[in-house]
Amino acid sequence: MARIPIFFLFLSFITLTDALDIAGKIAWNAACPNATTLGQARASLNEGAYSGGINSRGEFTIPDVPEGTYILSILAHDFYFDQVRVDLLPNDTLPEIRPYVPGTPLDPPSSIVLPYPIVLSARDKFNYFVPPESFNLASMLANPMMLLMVGGAGMMLLMPYLIKNLDPEALEELKEQQSKMSGLQSALQSGDFKAGLSSIMSAVDDQGQSSSTTPSKSGSSARQTRGNNRKAKR
Amino acid sequence: MRFFTTVVAVLSSVSLYVGTTWALHESDVGVVDWHKHMVGIPLSGSISTSPSFHLVNGKNIILTATTNNVLAALEPEDGSIIWRYIFDPEDRIAGYYKNATTVATLSGPGGAILRNFNALTGELLLEKRLHKPEIGALSEPLHLGKDVVFAPHSNQMYVLSNGCTISCIDGSTGEVIWSWTSPDQGSMVIHAKLTLSQSTLFATGFAKSTASFTLHATSLSLPTGELNTFVNIPSALADPLHQFILLTRPDLEKPIAIWLEQGAFRYVALTPDLLEKPRSVKGEGFARLVDIGLSEFGYAVVLRNDESSFVMRLEGMVGQAKPVWEFDDSKASEANADSRYAGVLDAHGRAHVSRVYWSHHHEKGAFDVFTAGQPHGFSTGAKTFAFNTKDHGIIGHVAVGVPDSAPIHLITTSTGSVQLWEQETLKWEREESLAAVVIAEFVEVPERATSVAGVMEEAQEGFVARVIRQIGDAQDFPRYLVNFVKRFATGSYASPSSPPPPPPTTSNSSEPEPFSRDTFGFRQLIIAATAFGKVYAIDSSTGTIVWSRVLGLGWAGQVGGRVQPVKVFVVKGVSEGGDVEVVLVAQRRASNTLVDTVAFHVNALTGSDVLGKSPDGEVLEGQDVIEGPLVEGYLLGGEKKVIVMFDEHLQVYLYPSNPSTIDYFSSVAHKLSFPLRTTIETRKRITGHQIQLSSDHHKSLAYPTWTLTLPLGEDVQAMIPQAKSGVPVASVGKVLGNRTTLYKYLDERLFVLLTVVNTPPPPPPATGSTPEDKPQPKPSHSQKCGIYVVDGAKGTVVYHAEVKAPGTPGANGKGGGCQVKAAFSENWLVYHYYEDEVEGGSVGGSKGYRMVSVEFYEGRKGDEKIMSSELTAYSNDTLNLSTYEQAYVFPYAITALATTSTKFGITSKDLIVATNNHRVQSFARRMLDPRRPNRKTTADEQEEFLIQYDPLLPNDPRRVLSHNYDVANVQKIITSPSLLESTSLVFAFGLDMFLTRVAPSNTFDVLSENFNKVQLVLTVTGLAAAILSF
Repeated sequence: MARIPIFFLFLSFITLTDALDIAGKIAWNAACPNATTLGQARASLNEGAYSGGINSRGEFTIPDVPEGTYILSILAHDFYFDQVRVDLLPNDTLPEIRPYVPGTPLDPPSSIVLPYPIVLSARDKFNYFVPPESFNLASMLANPMMLLMVGGAGMMLLMPYLIKNLDPEALEELKEQQSKMSGLQSALQSGDFKAGLSSIMSAVDDQGQSSSTTPSKSGSSARQTRGNNRKAKR
Repeated sequence: MRFFTTVVAVLSSVSLYVGTTWALHESDVGVVDWHKHMVGIPLSGSISTSPSFHLVNGKNIILTATTNNVLAALEPEDGSIIWRYIFDPEDRIAGYYKNATTVATLSGPGGAILRNFNALTGELLLEKRLHKPEIGALSEPLHLGKDVVFAPHSNQMYVLSNGCTISCIDGSTGEVIWSWTSPDQGSMVIHAKLTLSQSTLFATGFAKSTASFTLHATSLSLPTGELNTFVNIPSALADPLHQFILLTRPDLEKPIAIWLEQGAFRYVALTPDLLEKPRSVKGEGFARLVDIGLSEFGYAVVLRNDESSFVMRLEGMVGQAKPVWEFDDSKASEANADSRYAGVLDAHGRAHVSRVYWSHHHEKGAFDVFTAGQPHGFSTGAKTFAFNTKDHGIIGHVAVGVPDSAPIHLITTSTGSVQLWEQETLKWEREESLAAVVIAEFVEVPERATSVAGVMEEAQEGFVARVIRQIGDAQDFPRYLVNFVKRFATGSYASPSSPPPPPPTTSNSSEPEPFSRDTFGFRQLIIAATAFGKVYAIDSSTGTIVWSRVLGLGWAGQVGGRVQPVKVFVVKGVSEGGDVEVVLVAQRRASNTLVDTVAFHVNALTGSDVLGKSPDGEVLEGQDVIEGPLVEGYLLGGEKKVIVMFDEHLQVYLYPSNPSTIDYFSSVAHKLSFPLRTTIETRKRITGHQIQLSSDHHKSLAYPTWTLTLPLGEDVQAMIPQAKSGVPVASVGKVLGNRTTLYKYLDERLFVLLTVVNTPPPPPPATGSTPEDKPQPKPSHSQKCGIYVVDGAKGTVVYHAEVKAPGTPGANGKGGGCQVKAAFSENWLVYHYYEDEVEGGSVGGSKGYRMVSVEFYEGRKGDEKIMSSELTAYSNDTLNLSTYEQAYVFPYAITALATTSTKFGITSKDLIVATNNHRVQSFARRMLDPRRPNRKTTADEQEEFLIQYDPLLPNDPRRVLSHNYDVANVQKIITSPSLLESTSLVFAFGLDMFLTRVAPSNTFDVLSENFNKVQLVLTVTGLAAAILSF
């Protein structure tokens, strides 16, 4: 009978030196107000080698963790929690807790030391959905189809006034062009491609004549600069 | 040119932030996806795990522990889950123990972990580890040596764990008030049951003696846990689990231990000093004592040698037990199958004991409920209920409840169905074997067939008849016109986000219409075979079960056994016309250890037997294919679909086996090759095989052609074939920003090999070691995991990587070992592992999960083309490839992964993973591109839409496909193309079932959801009006 207490003493001795229980708590906040909203969740060290369930008061205990460096994460379905780094050093009775950002090197450790027992709270509740696009008059009007329609209708209504306000010379030109285009259209409709083509060519020629001044100018200036260069070389 | 690239760069950056999110709307929930919550098949082996009715604050609930290691509470009204708690796989539930308002569980080795739950909400009130799992004693059965009793008027509970330790624990804080461990632990005594009396806690157990067990009783002082005394009661129990029971009654002081010794009753009353002597009762011929869950109220059922049974009750102050009710006609007979017994206490404190059995005579289930009362109580007499044994197997377990006056029965069947019968009517049923699906396969279904008979009639009718018919039909024209205009103006067309169309209704004929697909091919069938010998066809658009068949045992029906599904093949698809047919290849393990391979050939749409052996509604019998186990099986998918199977001697078996398939097989056999894992003298190998056709009547044989010998200590963990499923490769290359092309390295024979490398602790003089093999600081880090990509025809290793296995397994036996998960599709390999190495790890020396993405391209640089998809395995060019790989930090542990698949393979492939926090999430292929540059992207790279490398994979909750659903313990994910190129179906199964659709590159081939038809119609009419008016 007397052997039993000795046995237990021995057991507790092992626990002190070899491994520690890591305790912590989830602090309820606006994002996650209670255990029912949190659902079944676990606190897990590394890849779940050591873990403890989170009870209705938000507390968890991870029993018998041997010395080493661990990342503690909370496995919950709907909530995002920060990870913390837990260092269990030999000859230390309390673990060292530090913040940890996923994907960052463990070395050097963060200089901030958090209090123990660990207190974590939900950063955010995951939002899985995007709101459906609601009916929007502006976006409907910005639709290219709508713009075309409105623009077309506007032009149709405005055309007579525009023509009225044009100066006689421009009006003459416009009429000429219109008659050319109608000639072209009628030629194409009647199947007389040759006539259509010649009318196009003549239209192009006209335009070419009116705009031919600029390229020649630039050409002469280019020649001039080249001449200057030659001069400079000499 | 410069302008073009800038435009592309701008566009790409815009599309990066705008175009990548394909996400769910809240209104899509339940429309594009479905989810089946499961709990698993109840564990009916012991009273402490099997289903029971429990009255909590006036509300009746059903509690059960299940084979999926879940503790669940079900609603007796409709069978819905009130709550469930999922235990880790290593943490097996040994038993649950009920209190008025809470449920306690013991789980893990030796009952290492005590948990206490709120019985109505499932909130975890307490989690307490009682001892280290390493010192947990394994017991068979699992529930032996564990017990919890609750103190009647306080929050304390007394917990027996490990068969030898009794603790008094505060139910709210978990504080151990006292603890007592049997001094002779390790000896032959195992304590089994705790009983409370006034001030004493009795622990009864069994001590092993030479030929039988001796009853052992211990008495502890309740407040302090001090040992009063213990005693070996002179007894000889042959079967302590079935021939011993401890009865108490709230109004009686002394608990009575009753046991059977050579067919006769003996009993002893337990007193704090344990001085009472055992006594015998006259009479013999008793076989078993059945605990019906009423032992605390003094009831048990006793079976005689002839199986006839009676209800026994603890009576009077002397503490004798007496028969109170004899069940009629309970003798073993030809007419009835074995009986199941259950008991319950109703809200008025009356005991009810039910006997349920299958009546061969009536071909129905039958129940007989005894209600205790004065002087003897009464019974309902035998009543039958229409239990369908052909659909659900046999009655495996029964629980009875009496919510009102009428008894209800909860029946668990051998095929995993859980049914609630209210008197003679079936109130609800849950197909819990769907939580044990082993294999599942999508099967495309044909379009709704236009009535063939009608077309035939039209072809035969004469001219006059036709004119008359058409005039008759013309009457409907105005209505059609109105409908047309209405539909044109406002009507909605089938849209991917519209709810699934109602199942084809039986319009006029009594015959149900065959299952048919919908417009977009979202309605397919999922053929799912369970480990409990049942196969289901599930409608992929709604999750309803279309048909189910019980797999027959064939000749093994005489001796018992089970059918273990191995593979499902679609042998006749939609494109071939006619009915869609599937073959389920299964191994039948008879109880006499004989293993056979059986093929079940069914019509996928109706579930009827194609071979015509078993009529509909009966048990589906298969055809024996191999007299022995199956080593490997493939489907030849050429002009004829033939299943090729190999037995242990690598002999070839074909299914179906007829001259035409044999001819076809001999014509293609020389092209076939397949890898198998083999062990030769403890060295693990992968051996490639080809087939030698036999010229005589012997079977063709496969012979080895190559071996891949793994290094000493390296063990094959898994061989993962390529995800093919008949999806074509749309583009064979990728045009880069510098106008060169990377051609994909496509080889259909490639497979992934996962290995575990158990390197022995390095010897002091490291012989022939590479710099990486430096002696490890920790000897525990000697395990590595290998990932290979191997050509199946020649054994060429195309890719090999080795990752460190995470350190020693944790306290709960979890962790450690190789947990690499991999998926391979086209030229893309992804694998997931845990990086434990702090020093010199690949991603900045941080611990965590990694997802590695690897892509294979032809040649050493761009524009090199070797036509790898058409290359023979013996070409020298097979190794002329370049590998791009990149590791990413992954936020979670995963249980399964798969890539999406679409009809033409044009849509980019996303990665679908099931995480350990019960979600199914998708990750964009673009994020996993191994060519993401490690610096700022150049214009060329921007043109390719490459994003700068960031070790952290974005964890976007909007890509969580399972959103609010809790999709637990996913074992496998399968994907299937729909008729829309943009959309792929994703089905995840494990404990739960979940199906959804994903569109990795957005739904580009359907009208966008914000397309406004009214607007279009208005515009068109407006324009038309404008044109006409001017």
